[in-house]
Amino acid sequence: MLAYTARRLLMLIPVLLGMSLIVFAVVHAIPGDPAKTIAGDKATPEQLQEIRKNLGLDQPVYIQYFKYLQALLQGDLGTSLVNKTKISEEIGPFLAATAELSFVAIAIALFFGINLGILSTWRQNSWLDYGSMFIALIGVSIPIFWLGLMEQWLFAQELGWFPSNGRLDPRMEYEPITYFYIIDALLFGDMAMLGDVLKHILLPAIALGTIPMAIIARMTRSSMLEVMRSDYVRTARAKGISEFLVIYKHTLKNAMIPILTVVGLQLGLLLGGAVLTETIFSWPGVGRYIYDAINSRDYPVIQSGILVLAFIFVMINLIVDLLYAWIDPRIQYGKE
Amino acid sequence: MTQPVLEIQHLKLHFFTDKGVVKAVDGLDLTIREGEIVGLVGESGCGKSVTSLAVMGLVPQPPGKIVDGSIRFQGTDLTKASQRELRQIRGKDMAMIFQEPMTSLNPLFTIGNQLIEAVRAHRSCSKAEARELAREMLEKVGIARKGVLDEYPHQLSGGMRQRVMIAMAMILNPRLLIADEPTTALDVTIQAQILELMQRLNEEFGTAILLITHDLGVVAEMCDRIVVMYAGQVVEETDRYRLFRQPRHPYTQGLLLSIPKLDEQKERLYAIPGQVPNPYQMPAGCRFAPRCTQVMDVCRQTVPPLAPVEQGHVSRCFLHQKEESHHGTD
Repeated sequence: MLAYTARRLLMLIPVLLGMSLIVFAVVHAIPGDPAKTIAGDKATPEQLQEIRKNLGLDQPVYIQYFKYLQALLQGDLGTSLVNKTKISEEIGPFLAATAELSFVAIAIALFFGINLGILSTWRQNSWLDYGSMFIALIGVSIPIFWLGLMEQWLFAQELGWFPSNGRLDPRMEYEPITYFYIIDALLFGDMAMLGDVLKHILLPAIALGTIPMAIIARMTRSSMLEVMRSDYVRTARAKGISEFLVIYKHTLKNAMIPILTVVGLQLGLLLGGAVLTETIFSWPGVGRYIYDAINSRDYPVIQSGILVLAFIFVMINLIVDLLYAWIDPRIQYGKE
Repeated sequence: MTQPVLEIQHLKLHFFTDKGVVKAVDGLDLTIREGEIVGLVGESGCGKSVTSLAVMGLVPQPPGKIVDGSIRFQGTDLTKASQRELRQIRGKDMAMIFQEPMTSLNPLFTIGNQLIEAVRAHRSCSKAEARELAREMLEKVGIARKGVLDEYPHQLSGGMRQRVMIAMAMILNPRLLIADEPTTALDVTIQAQILELMQRLNEEFGTAILLITHDLGVVAEMCDRIVVMYAGQVVEETDRYRLFRQPRHPYTQGLLLSIPKLDEQKERLYAIPGQVPNPYQMPAGCRFAPRCTQVMDVCRQTVPPLAPVEQGHVSRCFLHQKEESHHGTD
């Protein structure tokens, strides 16, 4: 397992290099002169030259790339043109907000998706099966923004059970430690705060988790149906163990690899693509952060934001790969 | 005579499919007594594996359904037992090993995990105790190498995996072991070892074995009594000496003729003419009639009953029943 992990980590290096190169190239291909953006229209050519020199823009492109890479390796994501703040210091809370929302969403999606899938395999071709798959069909078809708005209307406005936006009641402001509010609330041991945080996160998490839930349910069903027919499931039944163990231990674990692939891809998409949900629920996440940067043409923020999201996507895929090997002991040997 | 462990009476198991009803098992009688090794022989598709799955209660229902008959195991009628009762019997009093050792063990759990699970499904004991039992059992099936408990199935050979399957089946000392073609997928040398192992366990634990196979050589070596099946029905049943010396049913005779012999020079091996009947359209009379070399008119109209031809030897054929009546009038 250790050798496998090391190998996978080494394979990450070219991927990350390629990623940084693409992001760098794309941002440099955008028309317009950053020096002019900074200095404004009335700047003299000398002033512009001065700014270019300060930013290192007068040097050849490959030198710029290596400098950029050097800064990246030191954790320096550049400086925002608008706020003049260091992006690496600024982006953390936004990332945490998005990550927290995504994890809760994927947890909801996993729980309901897998159990819905199991329910339909357990009684294949019964009304339970058709019912579960109908729910899944609705789930993949529903537009997120519409679902989010409907949730707000019904549960926040009409019923008043949940708040309609934000991460926490403004009266409960606190000094964040990790910026993961659920973890912070647990660290403080503050149950009232935890309750409020969960209340805030539930609606956006459901909106965000619905599509992954439906996809996971369908994947679970097809994967489980295949495994159910295998010899070792028959062996498990022949041992006289309970149906619960047959399904949740012997079948589900074997059906888990394709499910996990889907979960990894979906989680990656959630982390990058939560802009819509974050906008509807005023969630201060990284999607909103990049969205605002695009509106104010803050190129370094766009560049770094994309880079960070791409990095997270790659890391999630790495974790999924490692989980494969953890679930299926045959994988690490197969790759020797 | 010892008590029967398993008594199947007039079992009819049909599959209800879109294309029609498949009478996979159609009026089967089979008795296995304490400590006995019984061979169930027949071509592929004759219903022998389905019979074993029916005994274990592992036939998927639907499409399968037991329409008639009973399966009495140590006095309990399994056809009327609930899933819960069946679960309590399976793996404890009655166990099964399968044809494919390569795929019969779960690839994601260690050998130890799967053996311990088999123990703890029926016996309340600690993990350590179950593990100790598993280790002892592996030794009994000839796996003495240390660390196998912590290995995964893919690290073992086919023969080793079948030994593990046998250990798993025998770990709670069941009264009946059903072995469905246990050696078919193995090398010939390994086959002999596995059969020898089963014979030894049969003597040591007194476990009755129902050995399902299409290999008459295996049957000759192992079984006390042999039941020959054809198209869902028993066609002949007797002890192994009589089966090989005086087979009565034309199907059994055909089967025996098709075994190659070392001292014979033959251009071609004998094969029973024709094909197994279409399961959706069974012949009206004797099911073997279309392929039988000694077929008579009566065979095509009436189903012959399974009748004794002598003490301890039954056959489903009008041929001997006529002979019998001759003997009777003499």
